Amino acid sequence: MLETARDLTLEAARDASYIRKTSTRPLPAAQLKKLLDSRTERDVLEGLRKVITMDYRNQPTLPFFTSVIKNVASPSLEVKKLVYIYLLHHAEAEPDTALLAINTIQKSLADSNPQVRALALRVMSGIRVPVISQIVSLGIKKGAGDMSPYVRRAAALAVPKCYALDPSTLPQLLEFLATLLGDKQYFVAGAAVAAFLEVCPDRIDLIHPHYRSLIRKLVDMDEWGQLATLRLMMVYARKCFPRRTRRVKKTIVSSTTNKLTTKTTKGFYDSDSDSPDSESSESYEKIQVLDPDLELLLKSASPLLQSRNSAVVIAVARCYLYLGTPAHLDAAIGPLISLLRSAADIQHIALYNIVQVCLARPQPFVSHYTHFLVRSTDAPHIWRLKLELLTLIFPHAPPRLQSLILAELSHFSRSSGSQDPGLVREAVRAIGRCAQSSATSPRTSARCLRLLLAHIGSADAHLVAESLEVIRHLIQRDPDAHRTTVVRLAKHLDAATSAQARASIIWLVGEFAGVDPANNIAADVLRILAKGFADEAEAAKLQIVLLAAKVYVHYLDANPPPDPPQTQPKASPSLLDGLDDDSGFRDVEVPQQQKEPEKKDMYPIPALYHYILLLTRYDTSYDLRDRARVYRALLATPSSTQLASLLLLAPKPVPQTPSPSEARKGYTLGSASLVVGDEGGVGGLRGYSDLPPWVAEGQEPDARLRDEVVSSSRDYEPMASRSQTASERLDSAVSAVPTSAYSRSPAGDTGLAPKKASANGVKEKSLDDWLAEDEESEETETESEEEESTEEEETESEEESEEEGEGDRLVKSS
Amino acid sequence: MSAIEALYIFDEHNATILEHVYRGRPPTASVLLPLYLSHPSPQPSLIYLPNTHPPTLVYSIIQDRLLFLSPSSAESEPLLALEFLHRVADALEDFLGSPLLASKIESSYDVVAQLLSEMCDGGLVSNTEPNALRDVVEAPNWVKGLLGGVGLPSSSPSLNPSSQTPFSLPRPSLPRAPSAATANPVPWRRANVRHTSNELYVDIVETLSITLAPSGRPLSALAFGTVAFTAKVSGVPDLILQLNAPGGILNTISLPVFHPCVRLGRWKEKPGELSFVPPDGRFVLAGYEADLLGDDHLASFTSTSSTSKSLASLNLPATPAVSVSLGPTGADFEVRLSISPRFQNKPSASTASSSSRGGLGSRSASAFSATGTTAHPHIEEVKVHIPLPAAVRTIADLRTSRGDAQYAPGDTGIEWRVAAKDVAALLASHHGGSVSASATLRGSVVGEEEEDEETAPSVSLEAGSRWEYDEDEGGGYQTSSSVEPAQQRNGNGKGEAEAEQRSKRRVALNRVLMPSSATVSFSVKGWLASGIKVDALMVDAKRSKGLGAGVTPYKGVKYLTVSRKGVEARC
Repeated sequence: MLETARDLTLEAARDASYIRKTSTRPLPAAQLKKLLDSRTERDVLEGLRKVITMDYRNQPTLPFFTSVIKNVASPSLEVKKLVYIYLLHHAEAEPDTALLAINTIQKSLADSNPQVRALALRVMSGIRVPVISQIVSLGIKKGAGDMSPYVRRAAALAVPKCYALDPSTLPQLLEFLATLLGDKQYFVAGAAVAAFLEVCPDRIDLIHPHYRSLIRKLVDMDEWGQLATLRLMMVYARKCFPRRTRRVKKTIVSSTTNKLTTKTTKGFYDSDSDSPDSESSESYEKIQVLDPDLELLLKSASPLLQSRNSAVVIAVARCYLYLGTPAHLDAAIGPLISLLRSAADIQHIALYNIVQVCLARPQPFVSHYTHFLVRSTDAPHIWRLKLELLTLIFPHAPPRLQSLILAELSHFSRSSGSQDPGLVREAVRAIGRCAQSSATSPRTSARCLRLLLAHIGSADAHLVAESLEVIRHLIQRDPDAHRTTVVRLAKHLDAATSAQARASIIWLVGEFAGVDPANNIAADVLRILAKGFADEAEAAKLQIVLLAAKVYVHYLDANPPPDPPQTQPKASPSLLDGLDDDSGFRDVEVPQQQKEPEKKDMYPIPALYHYILLLTRYDTSYDLRDRARVYRALLATPSSTQLASLLLLAPKPVPQTPSPSEARKGYTLGSASLVVGDEGGVGGLRGYSDLPPWVAEGQEPDARLRDEVVSSSRDYEPMASRSQTASERLDSAVSAVPTSAYSRSPAGDTGLAPKKASANGVKEKSLDDWLAEDEESEETETESEEEESTEEEETESEEESEEEGEGDRLVKSS
Repeated sequence: MSAIEALYIFDEHNATILEHVYRGRPPTASVLLPLYLSHPSPQPSLIYLPNTHPPTLVYSIIQDRLLFLSPSSAESEPLLALEFLHRVADALEDFLGSPLLASKIESSYDVVAQLLSEMCDGGLVSNTEPNALRDVVEAPNWVKGLLGGVGLPSSSPSLNPSSQTPFSLPRPSLPRAPSAATANPVPWRRANVRHTSNELYVDIVETLSITLAPSGRPLSALAFGTVAFTAKVSGVPDLILQLNAPGGILNTISLPVFHPCVRLGRWKEKPGELSFVPPDGRFVLAGYEADLLGDDHLASFTSTSSTSKSLASLNLPATPAVSVSLGPTGADFEVRLSISPRFQNKPSASTASSSSRGGLGSRSASAFSATGTTAHPHIEEVKVHIPLPAAVRTIADLRTSRGDAQYAPGDTGIEWRVAAKDVAALLASHHGGSVSASATLRGSVVGEEEEDEETAPSVSLEAGSRWEYDEDEGGGYQTSSSVEPAQQRNGNGKGEAEAEQRSKRRVALNRVLMPSSATVSFSVKGWLASGIKVDALMVDAKRSKGLGAGVTPYKGVKYLTVSRKGVEARC
């Protein structure tokens, strides 16, 4: 006890002096050199510390290179470590001198201490001097067969470095990798998988024999090994397990599986009822049949959902999303939400991924809505995603929650106080998205509209403009239902002060100028606006001119000049098709009613139009003058309005306001491209590759390849428990039977994949097909959406082939 | 793919203190930093810089005011990089002492260099477990001195009698017994741990995240819990920690996350029971969250009667409430802070609070006697933050009934601190009543342009509120269009209504300047919002190894509930 106390005191005294010394200014070079050349280890250490410190302070240390390297032969591990660190930093600058050290390092590979061996291997492979590639390769070979797993791991990690040094060593390296992948020590195998992904991610033939053992080790690996393995297995599974589906009668399903599964299966991958090929069998439902090996992967991954590492949780969710069944994915929802508890930086990335999963499967997120409520302390990039999540779950929420979400959104759209204008804008847009979603009831939709309309009188120009924008979208989606809304908006022109808002309203009035000609207010509005034309802002003036032109075209259409009789009225309804869906309405009603106005207001509309044109002629804005000129030229001859109506009354496409993240939907969950979006270039960032499509049935590698070869795995594993491998063998022999419940996985065997293996109804589909169908059925969009998705498919496949080439290049150059 | 290319650390003045390149030739720190800083603050954790060559992704975290950056030239997993940065920060903190300071890193570059090369090998993350790092990298001696040499077997020469005299070799670099390193059955625990005093501490910290609607009813009330564990026990102990809660542990906590050492199967079998072999030192054993409102609160949203009850059932130590647009011109606002008398800092409790860790008798492992603080939790560090709109020029007439408020023109918000003695005085003045005591802050905003409003165009601001949209009105089209909008414009702005109109406009203009929320920060020792309790902490004698016979470690439990701007009231 006393002894200890004394030692401690001595130590403390020494440390105190050490602190004082390091805080002094850097030593003169000669003195430092003397320290490095000293015989006492203590001085050498002191000198090395100084050198390392200088290194990190960006002071030149190359003059000491030889002095430092000399110490590589020091017996002290401490000295060795520091010399190695120095060597790694500077070997490139002095390759010849660095080579002098190689010999000593090579000797260390035979040291009795595994830590020294591992260190030596790490450093040797890290020295970026290409001539030594063969020596490194030899070192790896030695290390791969080492007794200590630490050295074997170092060997695994050295493989990519050696490959980068000299790609021609690949054949040997692959040999080592194949050995290391089968290592019984989980942290060796994890490192080997990471190395495999770096060197030759396409050589999945190397994985076959180790697939099952890797999967079994998954739970015990460290987080980084788990990440690498999950990434590898996702690609592997896509390439090796064809997607088999089975049609099952719904009643049968509900009896074999629990209720939850049937319910959830329906929403996600369902292709029934909407897809053309299954219309005949509405009571049938497709169920994914999992390969037993794939099921093993999905099952073994489930304990990782409780990992403290957010990347692992996302990786498991990614596996479930792209490989598993909806039931699997549901299990990952909670853990995904739990990521929102972590630090703000992780929360941000996690939100992107949650949005991505939510786009595919919103229902299970509904119960977690409290996590998506925006807090005043949230940064813009956080609340933006939270608002999006709220709108995504909105259609699936129970009515009470819907009203809560709307209240929430309207709270943020009220431009009171300290709120970011951006937040106000996003909230208004979010309300618009809520109103547009197909699942929203008309009442809720009307409520959304009411919320938006309430903003028009606001003093905040941004808010008004944004609200009107959204209102316009809502109206355009369903023009017939909103005629009165337009009228009311027009009445509101007085309240609206912002030019943008006025412009929006005027444009809407113009769009509706042709609807219901008998009662149209467009001309009236034009008349009133003409009075105050001079006081309007330019944006509004532009719209007034446009309105005048539209009203005039409609007038001309309705009252064709006498010279060319009866041709125009026929043409115009066809051109107006998209504007008002019930063109029959016009056909029937117009001829009767147009007689009246023809006689009465022969003059006001042309007069108004010409008056406006006259006003613009003397406006200061050249843009306005130019436009007026265009309209004048267009409508110069009242007899031919065809071109004018083509230009002015063209049917506007219904605006689509998809969720902002819809654009990123194609990117893989958990990737950086998903966060960066299309900003990183079309097809993702450099090095991004899409998931491979499911392998076609019949083209997958033989499942027997995955049966473990006992003899080979025994060679490298001195402590292998033979009983285990034997049982494994037994397992693989009866691979038709599902592998008995994995010890740690929950008992929730959903029974989704009992091997009834009935071949009928098995239909292969690529994931793209599935997603495309999914979109169709879930969102019931217009045809344009469908076209888009097929286009996407095409481009995706093209990109893939391109990217493969790129990937090759990458590996070689790095 | 998914490789760490480099790691840069900057101090709070954005000076580079560390540059460590793992692979390739990423842009240097001096190139990256300005690009990173040019991004509008707060910077997201992943920034894409298309203008560098090659285009670079920058991952960033900020810990202890140090900025950690890691560039990546190609697609990589963002969370992998961020988790790695966090682990680096944790490891540095573990080795150099908390809090992490730039000077600490600068004075021990050699240790940092060893750590960094251990944690990531050629761009592949290899070893981030703090205990495993302890096995291969030695902490600087001065830190060990601070730690008192606990649990560091090789630190004191007396344990290594074979080494040379301490003077010739400052750091005895003993080759560790290979068997110890390789045959270590528990990857997260160091081999050969030895402690002179065996201690086990459980710290449960809950962070509140509560949002109150303008009406005062809670919209969401979540408590994020962290179970931090400190194990200073020799050998390989096998521990069982039993948690319990009034409504059953499974009903209380959800979405748990565990340290890899926790046996998940056991948790599933017996919820509330954590069985594990701890790493040496301090670590986070588990994380969880508790929904304080319960599952059925959505049902109560529509019925207004239950709102007050629902807030009361939360039993929050302190709640804010904001009322705005007060006074004749609507420029005044008031923030009311209510403090529950339950959390009064009684004089008797304050003495006990100095050592708030409840000591457990070393013999009675399972009997957790309630300590003084658990019986009398008290609230500390009460602080109200009121963010203000950017348009507010200054606050006139800022008064508080207790505590002091800080605001300088140009600030983005008001800080209102209520010191412990103010809280005590406040609660004393309201003694006896079960209703909460409250303090208030009042102020009135002064906006940017007061004179501009006269020249502003006549806006009928009340029109917005008057708006009624009835969706099923179809037939009223004719009549409604007959009202000429122009008449409205000519009609108003005349007569005695004008004065009223102007004051209304003033109110509306001031409305924009009103704060929209207020948040309260506080900490309460000895109380957990979720009501979770540690029932027992046991050392499984049969499974444990290396813990001397008859040694019963000292055990301590600490509860803490904090709110970091976590209780938010909207208005």
